[in-house]
Amino acid sequence: MDTIIEVKNLTKVYGKRNTAFTALNDIDLSIKKGESVAIVGKSGSGKSTLMHLLALLDKPTKGQIFIDGINSTKLGSHALNRIRNRKFGFVFQQFFMNANDTVLENVLLPLKIAKIGRFKRKKLAEEALKTVDLETKAKNKAKDLSGGQKQRVCIARAIVNNPEIIFADEPTGNLDSATGDKITDLLFRLNKEKGVTLIIVTHDEDLAKLCSRIVRISDGRIISDKSVRKDVQQKSSERWEKEAARVKKANEKGA
Amino acid sequence: MKISDLILTANHNLFRNKTRTFLTILAIFIGSFTIILSNAINTGVNDFIDKQVESIGDDGYIEVAPKAVYEQLEALTSAKVQEYSEDAKTVENSTFDDETLKKLRAVDGVDSLNPYNMITVDYITTNKTDKNYKVSLTILPDDSLTVDMVAGKQVSNNTSEYEIMITEDYVEPLGFESAESAVDQELQIAVPNTLKCMMTDNRKDCQTIVTTKISGVATTGVMSVGAGTRANTALYNHLVDLQYDGLPESQKMAYMATGHIDPVKEDAIRKAFEDEGFTIMTIDDEVGMVRTFFDVILVVFNIFGGIALLAAAIGIINTLFMSVQERTREIGLEKAMGMSNTKIFLSFSCEAILLGFWGSVIGILISMAIGYGANALAHQTFLSDFPTFQLVVFNPVNMAVITGIIMLIAFIAGTAPAYRASKQNPINSLRYE
Repeated sequence: MDTIIEVKNLTKVYGKRNTAFTALNDIDLSIKKGESVAIVGKSGSGKSTLMHLLALLDKPTKGQIFIDGINSTKLGSHALNRIRNRKFGFVFQQFFMNANDTVLENVLLPLKIAKIGRFKRKKLAEEALKTVDLETKAKNKAKDLSGGQKQRVCIARAIVNNPEIIFADEPTGNLDSATGDKITDLLFRLNKEKGVTLIIVTHDEDLAKLCSRIVRISDGRIISDKSVRKDVQQKSSERWEKEAARVKKANEKGA
Repeated sequence: MKISDLILTANHNLFRNKTRTFLTILAIFIGSFTIILSNAINTGVNDFIDKQVESIGDDGYIEVAPKAVYEQLEALTSAKVQEYSEDAKTVENSTFDDETLKKLRAVDGVDSLNPYNMITVDYITTNKTDKNYKVSLTILPDDSLTVDMVAGKQVSNNTSEYEIMITEDYVEPLGFESAESAVDQELQIAVPNTLKCMMTDNRKDCQTIVTTKISGVATTGVMSVGAGTRANTALYNHLVDLQYDGLPESQKMAYMATGHIDPVKEDAIRKAFEDEGFTIMTIDDEVGMVRTFFDVILVVFNIFGGIALLAAAIGIINTLFMSVQERTREIGLEKAMGMSNTKIFLSFSCEAILLGFWGSVIGILISMAIGYGANALAHQTFLSDFPTFQLVVFNPVNMAVITGIIMLIAFIAGTAPAYRASKQNPINSLRYE
């Protein structure tokens, strides 16, 4: 498998001199295409900082980040914006939707930024909504959706530009466990079926176990980096298949 | 993001908070409305003056009178005490004797100069009415001057027939049903002889009734040039003869004149005439006063409008700062998704410009509604004598320029909030609660 993200000697320091705080300290990490990586750690451990750096939302104090072999620290803001827009998808704990806009408007936002034409972006957004089983809600206002539905819309928004990597920051943090499971399953289905690289930041051990790899962070350093046993992952797949069957059945009933 | 998407999205965002946007637009509207309406009135007045000037139709036309006449007018309106000077020419000695005429006609750029005597007509009447009407009768000295006619033709100087043209407001009092029906009808003029009238108490004994033909009916003007009841040369000279008959030659001397000059040399000619004790008045001089008056009013109202716009600009700044704050997380999200700082700046600038745009458009629409209403009302009331006068005229170029300026002001007002939005750190924005 090809390496999609490679990080060398990554250090991030906030503040200066007396108040300086080292959030990340000399991190090396390599993520392959199609992997699902959980970044786990307590709050303040540096896991969010790491994600922000990997997602090119922030610049490291020291070290390099290679995306598809390109040294991102040498790129200008225009090129960075372009990478985020074309290659990345984002899912956040607090959803971040424009509550008064329609579901469709929310989903096609990345395409609008990418200067994709009116008809094409509508078509792509509808397809993305179909993937998360929300095509019937396209014209609803975002604020009228339930929490689980909102997060599914966010996933649709994250995949609408057909990204190579999805960054998910506590994607189930605001949801009850049943709804959270659905979101998790959706993310892993995308990972399996479309080969999207998944980077999940979480402190939820159960969610982390579903990933193919867990990176543990503490005090700005990686303290462990392990692949997850296949049998644990298997459970998740089974649960996904069960759920998929249930949805299919419900749809047939409805029709 | 494409520019078209940027504008549409900005407009959409603007109307998310309808009340706030409405109030901001209202503030801009107050300024734009004031400026647009006062400009429209100014355009209307200037259009009217232009039409009047056009109706006279001659750049080089001048009227000449002794300087003393104007000085007396000035003295009436000025509190300043002036010293007497023996050199100062008076009305009496500033007359067009042969020598003066020769000198003035020789001035470079003077094409023609025709002196005429002032006459006083007692009244005019027709056989269709029992009443007699006062009138101020002057000559139409020059066939090249074109007068705005309602019916018939203006008087011609190429005939020995007596011709007169009357203004529209005389039609009905003189007993005519319409302007058309007055054309080619007879009109009587009562002209007094100055000498005889000094020797009799009975006015009728010194009056002569002259019968003339009405050549046409002119629109009622507001300026003395070209407007008014006018006689052709044949009639006028006949009336002068009747009025001045028996007086000594020195009393018959004319001190008013009309003429024609090369407009390019106006300044030099003006000076030459001043040296001889005469003041010339061009059409521009006559209308200049009226124009200046309305220009001053325009400036005053534009200042009011400008102050209102300044307040509105602060409203725009406030609105956009609130909007930036409310949408902090949205900005963060858009940046995370790859929207550039420039585009974020532009999207907020667009909102500011659109606020200005809508404020102007509403200002234009409401001004137009009120303006056209006022036009209609004015024509039914105090402007009924001036059918060609539009009180308010909306010049598309003016409207576009005003809209452009207001949009520019709005843009400038929006730069500070837009800059703040563009400089926001996406991570902090996404963490913002």
